[in-house]
Amino acid sequence: MAQKKRSGFVIDVSRCIDCRACLVACSAENNVGMKYTRIWVRDLGVKGEYPNLQRTFVPYNCMHCDNPPCTEVCVSGATYKDQDTGLVLVDQEACIGCGYCVDACPYNARYLDHERGVVDKCSGCIQRLQIGQQPACVTTCVGKARLFGDLNDPNSEASIALKNARTVQRLDYEKDGVHTGPNIYFINGEVLEDASVLPRDPRYPAAEATWKEILVPAVLAGIGLSFVGQATFFTKQLLEGEKE
Amino acid sequence: MSHKAIPLPERKRLREKKIKKHALANILTHWFNVGMWLLLLPTGIAIISSPRLNLSPQLVQDFFRNLFGGPANLIKFHSTVGLIWAFVLTFNVLLGFRRYFVPFAASRLLLDRDDVEWLKLKPLQMLGFMKDKELPPQDAYNAGQKLYMYVVILGTVGILLSGVVMTFHTLFPPVLKQWAQPVHWVSVFSIVAGLIIHVYMGAVFPEEKEAFFSMFTGEVSAWYARAHHEKWYWNKVREELEWEDRVEAELGEIARHQQPSGDRPETGQVTS
Repeated sequence: MAQKKRSGFVIDVSRCIDCRACLVACSAENNVGMKYTRIWVRDLGVKGEYPNLQRTFVPYNCMHCDNPPCTEVCVSGATYKDQDTGLVLVDQEACIGCGYCVDACPYNARYLDHERGVVDKCSGCIQRLQIGQQPACVTTCVGKARLFGDLNDPNSEASIALKNARTVQRLDYEKDGVHTGPNIYFINGEVLEDASVLPRDPRYPAAEATWKEILVPAVLAGIGLSFVGQATFFTKQLLEGEKE
Repeated sequence: MSHKAIPLPERKRLREKKIKKHALANILTHWFNVGMWLLLLPTGIAIISSPRLNLSPQLVQDFFRNLFGGPANLIKFHSTVGLIWAFVLTFNVLLGFRRYFVPFAASRLLLDRDDVEWLKLKPLQMLGFMKDKELPPQDAYNAGQKLYMYVVILGTVGILLSGVVMTFHTLFPPVLKQWAQPVHWVSVFSIVAGLIIHVYMGAVFPEEKEAFFSMFTGEVSAWYARAHHEKWYWNKVREELEWEDRVEAELGEIARHQQPSGDRPETGQVTS
């Protein structure tokens, strides 16, 4: 049996010049509204002392985590981890745009499209992958800063770049039972210490938290009580026979 | 219980005498509601996929998603049937508001002193205490049923409003949609908690067999009414007696009017 795919990005931070062609290509390919973008380039600012200055740009989007916290909170099942590609996708036909997942994502990689009333995010250009093409951001990148491929396949372009990298960083998040396992590898640069790219704690909206912490135990207790009561009477009925 | 003292021939007579409990409109609405719940409850449970809340077995989710062809179709089915349910119920309540809903709410829904007493006593008796104490007489619905009716009415409104928010999700802000989901779930499962007892008492519990068939025929026997809903029964009897008195009085009135007119030819004869 073929090994399971683990689609991911390998991003060579040293090659990004913040031209943002990837943002444009992504928006055009995926019909992203003018107000929004699915992918970003984070500017870590100028570092060092003259004349040894250094400026790092970090292309940034959904990490297509191994254990995505966003799918953990989705009530309608609209957001899910695709079993074939390993991508984290949103079925916008099933999404109602409540934004539970937007708050849960430690990487702020999702946004609410208020016009369409749904959540949107990087889909790894699944429609292109299905016909054997690379994501739009990857093919458009002039500096070849963005690479995409199956990280479980040692011969993919991404895997080879990862193997030959000078430095490798993965913005992993592990805390309180959430362990994301992100599938973007930043290579050949220093990004980990900057707050603008580091993962934050997953947030749970008041409605979701109240639901989980208070409403579920209370209502399930009520149902349990009612069921036990009913079952007791039914058992009694069976044991003692029916009286009128 | 008091009905044990009823002599046999009287019991037989009471058994044969029928009292109307449910109007046809209520019966039809009830069974429409049952049908819709049978469609909506399983599909609704199958939709809730959040592993963090863990409210629905994976097996149920997979089964219904495969049956309908994915979560989007499942949701589409659920919201479409839900809209039909919401529309028909709202339509029925509005259409029958003065004829059915107001009289029902006024005569069968309000809790009185006996109901409060019943609510104190019944739970204790079910736990095995104070078995010797007699329960106060109950209305057409007992206090437990009345309380559950409030849960159902409030829950239905909650389901309806939150369902509309989620169905027409492009029209509402995210925070409303965030709260609509727990409101929908809590409303449904508060009703389900009572539904377990409602279905058991209505369809399985032998002492309430008549109540089940009354949901088709609309009628219960006078014996059942007297045994289970004594206050309602005697009210019915009083109404019947009052009606009889009224009819008798009216008949007397008519007879009195007819008598002078019958005498007229006689008096005419006298004068002529």
